Amino acid sequence: MAAIRNSLSPWHFAGLMARPSKACDRLAGPAPEVHDVILRVVLPLSIVPPVLAYVGGATFGWRLGGGEPLYIPADGLVLISLAYFVALVTGFVSTALVASWMAGTYGARREFGAHLAFVALVGMPAIVASLAHLAPHAFVNMLLLIPALIWSLYLLYRCLPAALGTSPERGMLMASSLVAYVLVAFVSLLGITVVLWSGGIGPALGV
Amino acid sequence: MAAGERYHDRVAGWLTGFAVLWSLLGMTAGVYIAAELVWPTIDFGQEWLSYGRLRNLHTNAVIFGFGVSALMATAFYSVQRTCHAPLFAPGLAWFVAIAWQAGVLAGGVSLLAGWNGGKEYAELEWPFDIAIAVVWVCFAVVFFGTIARRRIQPIYVSNWFYGALIIVIAMLHIVNSLAIPVTWSKSYSLFAGAQDAVVQWWYGHNAVGFLLTGGFLGMLYYFLPKHADRPIWSYRLSIVAFWAFTYSYIWAGPHHLHYNAVPEWVQSLGMVMSLVLLAPSWATMVNGVMTVAGAWEKLRTDPALKFIVLSLAFYGLATFEGPMMSIKSVNVVSHFTDWTVGHVHSGALGWNALITFGTFYFLVPRLVGAELYSTRLANWHFWLALAGVMLYVLAMWGAGVSQGLLWLSLDEIGELSFSFKDIMASMAPYYALRLVAGVVFLSGAALMAINLWMTVQGRAVVRVAPPPVAEGAV
Repeated sequence: MAAIRNSLSPWHFAGLMARPSKACDRLAGPAPEVHDVILRVVLPLSIVPPVLAYVGGATFGWRLGGGEPLYIPADGLVLISLAYFVALVTGFVSTALVASWMAGTYGARREFGAHLAFVALVGMPAIVASLAHLAPHAFVNMLLLIPALIWSLYLLYRCLPAALGTSPERGMLMASSLVAYVLVAFVSLLGITVVLWSGGIGPALGV
Repeated sequence: MAAGERYHDRVAGWLTGFAVLWSLLGMTAGVYIAAELVWPTIDFGQEWLSYGRLRNLHTNAVIFGFGVSALMATAFYSVQRTCHAPLFAPGLAWFVAIAWQAGVLAGGVSLLAGWNGGKEYAELEWPFDIAIAVVWVCFAVVFFGTIARRRIQPIYVSNWFYGALIIVIAMLHIVNSLAIPVTWSKSYSLFAGAQDAVVQWWYGHNAVGFLLTGGFLGMLYYFLPKHADRPIWSYRLSIVAFWAFTYSYIWAGPHHLHYNAVPEWVQSLGMVMSLVLLAPSWATMVNGVMTVAGAWEKLRTDPALKFIVLSLAFYGLATFEGPMMSIKSVNVVSHFTDWTVGHVHSGALGWNALITFGTFYFLVPRLVGAELYSTRLANWHFWLALAGVMLYVLAMWGAGVSQGLLWLSLDEIGELSFSFKDIMASMAPYYALRLVAGVVFLSGAALMAINLWMTVQGRAVVRVAPPPVAEGAV
């Protein structure tokens, strides 16, 4: 157990991300404790993008295109960064919950710790790509996010059968179902954000 | 069963071929107009190459050329098998198949020539509208004639969806196309102002509903159980979802007219009914996912099933995103932006195209009694399609949300912060990314065309006899 705990760190996961074969084998082992994954991996990883977004946004302002950058007041920026952190933690945990709920249908292992560690591994490339937040231009961020997402998809389809203990065919089905969930979750987040903007929270809009 | 009786599958085979051809032509037009949004001068000063004309050609070719030909092919193929009876009036079926292709071709040329009625997804002028109505009624005669001569009493759920497609599209097309002709190439709508807008979006949204959703659900309900080699997970759920879908979809059109000159209550009703639609849409998705989940062994031997699995994922996304975007406080930001374009393509590429590709990989080898030429090419197609649709949706999410935010941003004295021209000029990188996505998706479709061509080359359509009907099923 101690060996498992020692291998739970953001650095270790960053290393695993770059070596998919090793990552699949590593996650196929005994499931880590849930609180270990949350405290040692999920929370530290989820802090990185909001902090980078805060630093980039406060220093340079966000450029979405179309002239001057958008500067958001410091207290607003803190609020947005906090919301970003909560959204990331919720995203990791909810995806793992959905994955463990699907496990029965797809004949995968049920331990929540295994699902959480797998979701953290799949999300790792996007966390690394969040370095682009230091250059807060919407298109630059998207350009870096795309290869990261391709790598995440690769890890998802490649490692799911081994990491969650199911056959490659059922793994393919489960991975596609998870893609559907993540897309819906992401678009929900976009919708919630826009509703907040329309309600007067966030940037000043003429609505 | 009459001795020597056979299913009429050649007509389905030809329609499938035409659908593949239209997919390549329509998507190429789409890629070209995507390139025009990056390099606007590539219309070379030619009116027929302008964005305004090619965009209509793109939508008409993919929806009516690719989509409807695929629906006619699969409807003709499946209605015979679910009724254990050959097509009623096979000569008329051939007329439908050929007249439809001629109509789409001539209609496409008329759009390039600048004939345009000005109604979205109903741009063709009145001579074409009359021709479409005639061909569609013939389609109805063949389809319902076959149902009437069925040898099995229950009408299988796929036929309910195909039937709804045929009836509702006829109703929408005829009412929305009512117009006063002025010349051969120009007519004016019988409706005026806000009424015209309401009728147009009653048509427009239900063309999405009953053609791009309902029709393709008919395809799903027949071909998914065939792929999976097991019955649909819950037949009862499929029937409940059908009626809920049919009842609620028809009300949802006004969500295209939020904050416009139509009564507030009409807009709110459109929004509420759009939200209600989520229930039958997701019931169908769950039904599909659970049917595949029990047939996972099939993935080892059937490359096409992957397309259907992924199409269900995008069906789930599109049918969630649509109701969400109909909420007025979301729509105020998203409307008129590229977010809407992304939403349409997550449905059109992710759902309609993928389920059709999956169906063709299943159908074509069976039509000619041969194995698929290359499973490897089909697998390549799958990954190109996934990459293409993901890139497309991401590019349009990025562009759309940026546009919504920037168009509405106010400065400290309450004036607009950014000029429209500057905002649109800054969209070029997103449009370049969309162009890449389109090329990737089109390359996958080209691989499919090669694969299917090599599969059918030198082979004739197999003649299949209806199987005997068990006692008690009649």
